[in-house]
Order: sequence, then C-alpha cells, then structure tokens
Amino acid sequence: MAAPVSSWSTTEVYKHHEQQTICPSRPKYREGRRPKAVKVYTINLESRYLMVQGVPAIGVMTELIQLSALYGVVEEYRVLDEYPAEEFTEVYLIKFQKLTSARAAKRRMDEISFFGGLLHVCYAPEYETLEDTRLKIQDRRRYVNRTTKNKAKEEADQEEDHMKLKLSDPVPSLGTTSSGDDQMSSYNSSNVGTLSSSHGRYLEFPLLPLPPQEVPPYRHAPSYDQSYFYQANKCRTTPTEDKMGSLPNAIDTKQQQAPKASRAPLYTEGDKGLVKSVNRPYAAPPRFVPRTTHLENKKRKMVEVSEDSLFGIGDTNEILIGPKLPDQPKMDMEDASLNTTADIIRNTLKKVASVPEVKPTDKTKATKARRRI
Amino acid sequence: MSEMRLSATGSDRFKYLQMLVTEFQDTDSDEAKEQVLANLANFAYDPRNLEDLRTLQVIELFLDMLTEENENFVEFGIGGLCNLSMDRGCRDQILQSEAIPLVIGCLSSRREETVLSAITTLMNLTTAASRVQTINEAVLQCMLRFSISESPRLHNLASVFLQDCCTEEQVARAEAQMQGHHPTALGIPLPKD
Repeated sequence: MAAPVSSWSTTEVYKHHEQQTICPSRPKYREGRRPKAVKVYTINLESRYLMVQGVPAIGVMTELIQLSALYGVVEEYRVLDEYPAEEFTEVYLIKFQKLTSARAAKRRMDEISFFGGLLHVCYAPEYETLEDTRLKIQDRRRYVNRTTKNKAKEEADQEEDHMKLKLSDPVPSLGTTSSGDDQMSSYNSSNVGTLSSSHGRYLEFPLLPLPPQEVPPYRHAPSYDQSYFYQANKCRTTPTEDKMGSLPNAIDTKQQQAPKASRAPLYTEGDKGLVKSVNRPYAAPPRFVPRTTHLENKKRKMVEVSEDSLFGIGDTNEILIGPKLPDQPKMDMEDASLNTTADIIRNTLKKVASVPEVKPTDKTKATKARRRI
Repeated sequence: MSEMRLSATGSDRFKYLQMLVTEFQDTDSDEAKEQVLANLANFAYDPRNLEDLRTLQVIELFLDMLTEENENFVEFGIGGLCNLSMDRGCRDQILQSEAIPLVIGCLSSRREETVLSAITTLMNLTTAASRVQTINEAVLQCMLRFSISESPRLHNLASVFLQDCCTEEQVARAEAQMQGHHPTALGIPLPKD
C-alpha cells in the first residue's frame, strides 16, 4: 500500500456521506425496486473513491478488498482511522481504477450484511486530486457524446435498414449489400431479421477482424475432411449458443456465423473475400425466420450435438489435433475427501467403459457431472 | 440485463417521462414536485434519455427551477442541467435559452452541491462563442475564491475551471482586481436570517 497522499488526509464528515432517509411517500408508479432517498446524482458526486462504513473491526480488511475487487481493479485502500466510526466498526477508503467499477461496487455493496455488520457505501469525491476531478469530467463528457452520437447513428441506420428491407427483394444476397454499402450497414442489414434492438447498440462498435487462428487449424489439418471441419466448427460454437440460449430471442448460429466468417476476409482482401463469402455454402442470406423454425432448428442442433458428444467429439472446446489423452478433465470438488470419492467413481467408470457397449453411458455421465459445476 | 430492459422499452420510457413531467406540472404538493424533479434530473444522467427529455422540454423545466425559493428545487434543477449539459446538443439548446445568468446565479448558493453543479454546468456551457458570457470578471473572482476553499471538492473543481476554461491573463487580471478596487460578491452566499 502506497504512502498516504496528502489529499487522503481529509477526515471531515460531509453531508453526502450521511445516509439520507428514504422517501416513503412516492406514488406507486414512481416507486423503484429499492427504496431510495430523494437525491440527484451528478458527476460531481460520483467518484472512483468509495468510503465504506460499518465494517466490523475484526480484521476483515482482506475480505473487504476481495469483495471490492469483484467489481474492478482496486488501486489503493486504507482504513480511515481518524474518521468518526461507530463503535467496533471501521471505515475504509477504497480507490478503484475506474469510476464504473466504483459505481458497480457501490450499488452492490451498499447495505449488505458483511461479517455481521451492515455496510454503508458512499462516494468520497473529496479524496480526489485535481487531476482525478478533471479526468472524471472529461471522461463523462466524452462518454455522453459518444453515446448520443451512436444512438443517433443507430437510429439513422435502422431507418435505412427498414427502407432497404422494403425496397430490396425479399431475399437480399450478401453480395449486393456489402458491395453497395460500408461494412457496418451490411452487417446491420444481414442481421436485422434476427437481432433485436437491444443488440443494435453494439453494432456501432468497429468490428474487429477475427484472429487468423480461428479457422485455419481446421482447414489445414490434414486428418479432417471438409465435413468434419464443419462438424467441429459447429461443436466449437455450441457453448456460445448455450449462452445465447438464455437470451429471450435465440439466434440461429448459422446466420450468426455467416457474416462473421465472411467478414474476416472482407477486411483484408476486399473483392476477393466477397467472392469467397458468396461461395461459402452456409453463408445464408438474411431472411425472416419464424420463431417456431428457430426453435425447431435449435432442437435439431441440440440433438446433433448430443449425438456428437456420444462419439466423443462434442465434449471438447479445444482444437482437435493429434491423439487425445485418455484421462478425463478432472474437476476440483474443493474438498479432499470428495475429490477422493470422485476419483474412485471416475476410475470405476473408466473400467466399465473399457467394454465398448457401455461407453455412451460413461460419456453422458461425464457431461452431466460437468454441467453441475 | 438492465440494458436490454431499457432499450427494449424505449417508447415506454418516453411515456413514463411524459407522465413525470405531467405530474410535475399538475401537482400542488412541493414534496411530489421535489421527488419528480429529482427523478427527472437522475434520468438526465443517462445519455440515452436525453432526446426524450429534450422533446419534453425538460431543459426549460430545470431552468425555471433555478429562480425558485425552495433550495431543493434549485439543487435538483441545476443538478439536472449539469447532467444534460454534458451533451453537445443539449448544451446548445441550453445556451439558446439564455441560461448563463441563471447558472451563474447558482454560484452564490449556500449549498455546496448546488455550487458544484453550477461550476460543472458553466464549464460545459463554455464554448468559443459563449466564452464572453460564461467567464466574466465576477465569475473569475468567484472561482479564485472557491479555488482556495477548504472544501477539497470545491477547490478541485474551481481550479479545473480556472485552468481549463480560462486563460492565464484572465486569471492574473482577476487576481489583481481582487486585491485592488473592484471586488465582486458573486459566490458569497447571503447569511441565513
């Protein structure tokens, strides 16, 4: 921990440190999820410095900092010994690297029970240096203007896309859209059927070309033919689909993959890449797909994947080159005796698995156990 | 998750903000007004709401609050303006509404939060064109006094204002004037009676 800076010596109790009384008289439609005081937040009140009051004085500094670090990098911290604290509690000052981390930490840690004490977390902008204050305001201004600009652009793009969908033929080919417009709008239009507006915001960020190693290992690995490449590729994307599955609107992996795969060469090779992308068999042109079809596709894919996993292909995320090691990935049960038990079960299963007919059950067992983590 | 919720209900958000503005205009209760005002000012913090708030003329609403007797109204109003003025579009609209004298007036508030919001707002409102209005003698002297304040927040913010928005000559001249014959009283709140 660094030597205390001069600005860290402030010990005055400011009004914004106090917990204000919550407002009980709001009508139903203005009631938030959590009862709150009537207060206005501005950038002046926010800070990457947080003050945590009500920490039980039982030597839990490490735990407090560990908890804080869940929300972002903690640059400095110290006990504010001279700050008036309630009996048997301590007050901590935590300096995060980023204001967004401090914001998240304040939101999540305020009023939680911590080793028997109730934490009160507030911003402590009076510990900022002059430079901190300057950067904070500049960052905020930049963020706001970037966001509003993106929003305006996004709306314009959406408008454009709607127009395009109306004007162009029902199944616009990827080739025509990407040759006519810039990358961004071609991506937008190719996804407009599947992506909801909530995803739209992210489309405004410049899309990075995919790292080169993503595809070549499959393509160049001599032991895998084209169909296997496709299968392996599909298996590789299943975790993403699982994650996406939790979203309200499932995205067809084929469609999601198509623009990605075709865009990577577009960035570097221009027209050549375009030809490639058109030739690629699964670069399906964007079109409206009914929800039931989505669900059916998803179901079918899940069945395929589980079949793959029975063959022992599906259950791996790594690149498949060379002979596979026989041992199962071990999981840590965080307890010595549980680990021993798990090992015994694993070994028994391995023995049973030497008989080929029983192999599938072994595999399903393994995947099931893994899902429980 | 929350982001999805917000953007998925864009038009709902507009209706909600509209309801807030309507309640603010219709209610006779100061308490309800304060609550709604605070709500609106906090909504102004999220740049995604700015367009809706502009459409609902919330800028004018906030500006109206700056001349109110109720100190909460002033604090929340200038807080809202502080949030709005970060955006260039809003800034230009605020500048068109003759807001600068009103914002400068808030520098004399007894409440630190109000003064801080006013300084930041003034910083945001300072452009090449508006500079003549935002940085006058009185403001410069006021900022100089704030910059030697005991309060670290006030000291920091006023120093940033002097360093980033004003020229060195301006500051030097104001310093000379302060010691000389033309002191101004801006930023010195009247004692509470």
